[in-house]
Order: sequence, then C-alpha cells, then structure tokens
Amino acid sequence: MADISHSNAASAGAANAGTEVQDKHAAAIALHKRRTRFGLLFWIPLGWLIIVAVAAIGAPFWGLPAPDEIDWAYLQSPPSEAHWLGTDVLGRDLLSRIIWGARVSLTVGFAAPAIGVGAGLILGMAAGYYRGWVDEVVGIAIDSWLAIPGLVVLLLFAVIFGGSLFMVCFSLGLLFIPTAARITRAATLNYAGREFVLAARALGASDFRILSKEVFPNIIWPLIAFILIDIPIAIVIEGSLSFLGLSVKAPTPSWGGIIAEGREHLSTAPWISLYPTLVMFVTVLSFNLVGDAIRRRLADVREGAI
Amino acid sequence: MGETILEVTNQRTAFATGRGLLQAVDGVSFTLERGKILGVVGESGSGKSVLSRSIMRLLPGTAVTGPGSRVVLNGQDLMQMSEGELRRLRGPQMAIVFQDPMTALNPVLTIGKQISEVLTFHLKMGKRDARRKAVELLRAVGLPQPDVRVDQYPHQLSGGMRQRVAIAIAIACEPDLLIADEPTTALDVTVQAEILDLLQRMVRERNMAMVLITHDMGVVAGRCDEVAVMYAGRIVEKAPVTELFRNTAMPYTAALFASIPRVTDPPHRKLDAIEGRPPDLINPPPGCPFAPRCRFAEEACRRTVPELEGTATHQWACIKPLNREVAA
Amino acid sequence: MHYLFRRFQRLFIVMIVVTFVTFLLVNILPGDVAYEMAGMDSSEAEVEAIREEMGLNRPVLIRYAEWVGGIFTGDWGRSFINKEDVWHAIMQRFPVSFELMILAQAIALAMAIPAGMLSAYRPNGRGDRIIGAIAFASVSMPSFMTAILLIYFFSLHLGWLPATGYEPLSEGLWANLKPMILPALSLALVEWTILMRTLRVEMISVLQENYIALARAKGMSNRRILWVHALRPSSFSMITLLGLQVARLLGGTIIIEQIFGIPGVGRLLIHAVYTRDFIVIQGCVTFFALAFVTANFLVDIAYAWLDPRVRTRGAHG
Repeated sequence: MADISHSNAASAGAANAGTEVQDKHAAAIALHKRRTRFGLLFWIPLGWLIIVAVAAIGAPFWGLPAPDEIDWAYLQSPPSEAHWLGTDVLGRDLLSRIIWGARVSLTVGFAAPAIGVGAGLILGMAAGYYRGWVDEVVGIAIDSWLAIPGLVVLLLFAVIFGGSLFMVCFSLGLLFIPTAARITRAATLNYAGREFVLAARALGASDFRILSKEVFPNIIWPLIAFILIDIPIAIVIEGSLSFLGLSVKAPTPSWGGIIAEGREHLSTAPWISLYPTLVMFVTVLSFNLVGDAIRRRLADVREGAI
Repeated sequence: MGETILEVTNQRTAFATGRGLLQAVDGVSFTLERGKILGVVGESGSGKSVLSRSIMRLLPGTAVTGPGSRVVLNGQDLMQMSEGELRRLRGPQMAIVFQDPMTALNPVLTIGKQISEVLTFHLKMGKRDARRKAVELLRAVGLPQPDVRVDQYPHQLSGGMRQRVAIAIAIACEPDLLIADEPTTALDVTVQAEILDLLQRMVRERNMAMVLITHDMGVVAGRCDEVAVMYAGRIVEKAPVTELFRNTAMPYTAALFASIPRVTDPPHRKLDAIEGRPPDLINPPPGCPFAPRCRFAEEACRRTVPELEGTATHQWACIKPLNREVAA
Repeated sequence: MHYLFRRFQRLFIVMIVVTFVTFLLVNILPGDVAYEMAGMDSSEAEVEAIREEMGLNRPVLIRYAEWVGGIFTGDWGRSFINKEDVWHAIMQRFPVSFELMILAQAIALAMAIPAGMLSAYRPNGRGDRIIGAIAFASVSMPSFMTAILLIYFFSLHLGWLPATGYEPLSEGLWANLKPMILPALSLALVEWTILMRTLRVEMISVLQENYIALARAKGMSNRRILWVHALRPSSFSMITLLGLQVARLLGGTIIIEQIFGIPGVGRLLIHAVYTRDFIVIQGCVTFFALAFVTANFLVDIAYAWLDPRVRTRGAHG
C-alpha cells in the first residue's frame, strides 16, 4: 500500500514543484466542476430511463404481440427475427412482456415512494411540531414498523389484501413511512424552534399555516432527495415480490415474475431470465445514477445558497 | 560548538486551496544543536505548526514543498528519503508532542499499548519487555501509579496526565530531536508549568534537542536557549533568549511581549492584544507583512519585503528596528 | 443501567404492538381462516363448526391474550394445515436460516472492511472511484437477480457448486457449506455496499484525527495505522448497521431460501403464505420481530467491546 501522508508525492520533485502546484490547482477546480455539472453518467442513464418510460407508456402501439399471446411456432425459442428477445416456455414474446412489465415497475416505482413520503411527512411533522404524547406514539409506531422485515410485511399484506396494482403500491408505500417520518420529524424539530416560526406563532398564525408555510418549504429538499433514493428501491422490492408471485396477479407480466418463470429453464433457455434481469439491472442502476447526480446537484445548490 | 542535530534551510511549504496557493511557510532556516532548546513563537496562523510538520515530513496531500527546501537531521537529508526510510526515523530519531492531549491519544487502545507499540515496532522489543519499559517511561514522566495506568484508556486520565503519556510516547525510542507543538496550550494553567518543566528536564537528561512551538512569549522565557519569532510564514527575528528580551528589534516581537498574560491581569482578559489580523497568505500584501498592523510602519515598509539582517547571534527582518541606531 | 432499562421498556412495547397488529391483521381482515380450511364448496354449517372448534368466534382480545400467553409458555399454536407445532417448526428451521445469515454477514464484512479502508485511505482516488462504481452496481442488483446470475454461472456453466439443496452439518462441514456458498454470496453482494460506505465515511473522518497523525509521527506503518489505529474507532456506525441489517437480511433470506430450496424459517413462512396457514404466519412474524429486537440488544453489547469509554463508564462515573 502506498503512503498515507502523501508527503512523498508532494515533495517528489522539488524541481518541478511549480507545474505540480498548477496541476493540483487545476485538479481541485476540475473536481469541483465534476461535482456540480451533469456528466455522461447522468445523461446516458436518463436517456435509458426515457426509452423505458416511452416504451412502457406506448406499449399497445408498437405493433408487438400482446404479452399473453401464445405463438405455437416459437415455444421457448431463442432471440430471432420474429421475436427479438426470444419467447418463454409458452411461446409468449419476451420483448413485449418486458415492456408491459415495465408499466408495473414504473408505476410502483413512482407511486409507492410518493404514498410513503406523503404519509411520513404528515406523521413526522405532527411528531416534531406537537412533541409530547404525539411524538411518543409516532415513535413507537415507527419502531414497531421497523421491527418487522419489510418483505414480511408485504407478504402479509399480499395474503390479506390480494395482488391488485393499487394494493401493491399502497402496501409498498407503507414501507417508506418510517424513514420519511424520521427525516421530517428531525427537520421539523430543527425548524419549529427557529425565530421565524416563533414570530409567525406570535402573530397568531394557525398550526396548519405555520406547518405548511414556514416548516414545509424548509424540509422539502431532504424529502426530494429521499424520494430519489426510494424509486429504485421500490422497483427492486416489487421485483422481489413478483418473483415470489405475490405482486400483481398472474397474466399481468412483471419483471420479477418473468425472471421467476425463467428460473426453472435456466439451463435450457437462459434468455428468459437473463434478459429481464439485464433490463431491470440497467433500469435500477440508471435510477440510482440519475438520483445520485440530482442529489449532489441539490446539495451544491443549497451549499451555494447558504 | 555542539553537535548539530537539525539543519533547516530555506524551508517553503504551501497548500493548494480552491482560491489559490497558500504559502504557509516561506523560507525558514535555522540550525539546532544537541542539548539546546529552540523556541518558535508566533500567533496562530503564523506557520509554526506547518513548520513542525514540514520537519517531520508529515504533511497532507495538498501540501507542496518549495524547491530548494532542505531539512537535514543527523546529517541525513530528509527530502531525499522515501516514506519507508522516513518511517524508520520517526520515533527513534525525531518525535513530536501535539497540542491537544485530549485528541492525540487513540481512545480505543490502552496507554501501555500506545507506548509499547513504538518499542516493539522500532526496537523489535518483545511484548513483555516493551510493557516493562512502558511502565518505566510512565514513571519517568511522573505519572502516578504507572503500573495501574498502563492498562487504562486515555479517557480515564486528566489532560495533564495524557500530555505526560504523549511525552512518554515521544521519548520512548530516545529520539535526538523532540518537537513540542504548543504542548501546554490546551492544559490548565496550573499544569502548564509542570509539563514544560518535564519537557525541559527530559531534554537535559537525555541530551536531546527540542523545538518548542508556542504562541506565548512567557513560555519561552526561562526555558529556551534561542528564540525564533515567526510571522506570516517567515522568521522575523531570532536571538538568544536574554538578548531578545533585552534588545527587542522587531515591533512584532515587542507586541508579543506586550501580550504576555500577567498574574495581575483581571481573569478572562482578552489575550490577543495585537491589533488587526495576520495577512492573507494566498494574496500577501507587498512589502513587510506586518506593516499594516505596525505602529511604526512607513512608506518604505510597504514597498519591499525586509530580509533577515543583523549580527551573527541576533537577526531581524525590519528596516526600522527598535532600540538601536539605524545602520547606514 | 438506566439507559438499558429504558431501551428494554421500549422494545417490550414494540413487541406488544407488533404481535397485536399482526394478530389483528391475520384475524379480522378478509380471508377467513375457517372458509379457507373448509374448502371451496362447503356449507355455512361446516364453516361454523370449524370456527367453533378453533375458538374463532370468541372476542379478538381474549384470543390475543391467550395466544400471547402461549408464546411465553412455548405454545405457539399448531399449523392449520399439517397440525405441526409452530414453535417446534420454527426452531427446527431456525439454525439453517441463522447459518445462512451469519455466512452472508461474514462474507459481506470480509468484502466491506478492506474495500472501505482502501476507499477511505484516499478519498476520490482511483481505488475509491473503482470501488464506488462496483458498489453502485451492487446495490442496483437485488439478491434474487444476483442469485439467478450466480446459479447460471457457477452451477450451470461451470458446474462448481450446486444450484439448490441443503445438507445438515452431520454430513460434514464441507458438504454443509458447499450448497450454502451461493445463497450467502447472493445476500452478501447486496449487503456489503452499505457496510462499506458507512465504514468509508467514518474512517475518512477518523483518519483526520490527531491520534492518527500521532501514529504516523510514531513511524507506524500504514497497514498498522489502518488496521490497529483506525479500524475500531471507525466501525461504530457499521456495527449499528450490522444489527439493523438483520431485519433486511431476514427479509432477504426468505427469497433466497425459496430460490435455493433451503429449509429455513423463510421457506416456512413462504409456504405458510402460499397455503394461508395463518397461525404459522403469525408465529413467523413474531419470531422475526423477536430476532430483530435481540439483534439490536447484541449491538448495544458490541458497542461496549468496541469503545472502552462505554465499557468503563460504570466503574469510573
């Protein structure tokens, strides 16, 4: 391993110290620019996400076979002219199934974090603003919620409420409540004691007015950052759930479901599992990359504003 | 003349920052002989701590050492050494005591472990011998109950005791050069004198050389052989301690003397008695860096940077030195 | 002690809430157990008879109290489907799940610690950026997808490791470990990233500490500084996470046990979910919550080992 101190590198050539200084200065500036400007690692994944989104929204119009249409001539066939990504054991077109599956993934990906953050926002603000017993009750609820593994909660809900898309979004959304509530509570605690809130209260503003006009605008940014992290997580969890066959009901294709169907045929028809796996991986990675870039940009903007 | 331990020549250290290059140490030279103590005095930000780390070659990655800088320890040019070679010198030949004993000791390792690892690492001592030696060292630095303390953790000791431990670590391998970087600043006033006496005794007993860095003229008074006053990364005055006190040449040095806290002062008196602030080291003003704060500054002071001049024993960097006829 | 007592109090309340809500959900909401058991075309009388037999028509609170009382005495009820004792069923499968989790955490730590160190050692350096990119890809890869790829590559392609199955320890250590490697790796490949990132952040700040500067001034080698001086003070958050991750990992084992056919608690739960065996579901959820709470207690104890300041607080005021 190289040295911790870096002092060697710093003094390596006393003779070329001048250029070294310039290099270091330039590197510092470049690093700063790399942090703030959107690079290829933002635009390429964003492009992919747009392609996936457009494909999913326009799914019925691309002239693809329906996702549940069986092509008897192509049972479990590898990628070909007729079926670009091949077919599954029942002769269903994989490309079509992946595109229709994207509808489920994207819907859940956006809806679940929105539901969770919305509910967490209300609970967290109430706990942080009113303190006392409200805080205590919300705290216990959050702790209890966190004590059960998320997937177990979802299994439970899946059994009890069945697998409609709405219920999947709803129960997945519940998973995001605890963290969202904690973030909101901490931020509310922080802002509720500040002068401008005290001043508003002294002027006779109602609690609702104070929370929506004074506190909310200040905690919106951490929550947006949180939603950005949650979108890929929601997609991954939905994938796990549908892999277990406990997400949307059977004829509706979903990524996890397709992967699970192909698992039995991994040795004879690996493409059935591998293509949706690849698509899902790239999509989740893209969400992570785009989210990361935006969050860093947000942080920079806010640092700059202060 | 004694044996020369340390020879620093034209040391320049800068840091690359977002705004530009910060010249923290700007052409410092001095030599130090065995058995002697050199006091380096200056306000915070004068570059004295960076100087100490430059000597130890313990600078962060953003640091740039200027061309022509030379640090020679016991005849070995540290600039030409690899990190591995330097590592073998740190401990056995040079050691440092940091300012804040609260943060300088590792919270998760016992005191004995932190001392003995130097011995096992550098001197290849066995674990048992190293532990025995650690207890001995703790006794030597005046820590009560050394055989109990050796198994304790830093948080179980007071600040003064921790600084004694830090000194024990520093002297463990009998280094030739000891750097004490504001060793008493973070301590209670009552403990300060004890620690300084201890350092002084260690230097005399073990025949080391010490660089004692401080912002407090009062600290160097009775303890140093020679004093170098630093301002804005340069040595601005250097003289044997009595000479410096008696014939102060630089107005800055005089201002530092004026800021020594006195027992007669009311408590919590503001110590920073010098008006104004040290100059911006990224874009330094032209001329004498102290001129903007100097009562005696003239037009000429703001034009050129004064060089160190004077006699063999007493040098100053001022075109209008105090207490003496202006040399033609 | 006061602190630990308060923690315990809170965790006790949490357990009550968790068990009660689970019980309510399972018992009140649609999906009537009696209907399920009686079968599709059964008469109302038959369903009523089953209700009577199982005591399902008594008030919920009383049934809950009975069930909780049973938990303390080791009577977790019997499966509706095969009449198996729930506590016995869980205990029989738990060691398998536990082994899987421990293996996964061990692999994750073995990856996270060196990677986190290397990253923290030169933040934004080349090593840091490569590790960061790998970690980024890893978190984008849920365990079931990793499992599919690992099976495809190591089992079907190379034929090195079995794709499914489980061998008890009595068959020998290697026979037992062999089918566990891929499942544990599937879990670890997700878990290591968060451990690595946590360690990296904390270690970057620890490496700025004065005591690290002193260790360098003492002439210690980089390896020694990283492993002896920096690692322990840097691992507090990571240890906390290790405890919190037990919950995630318990969730993860469910799906991994299903894929690899490992007879653990997760498989028991999934099977109960498919067959709507509510008393087993109830038992498994309670067990998972208990495991989570216990894991967090263990984390508190681990703190005391890591940080002498916590360990000796009692003795030195």
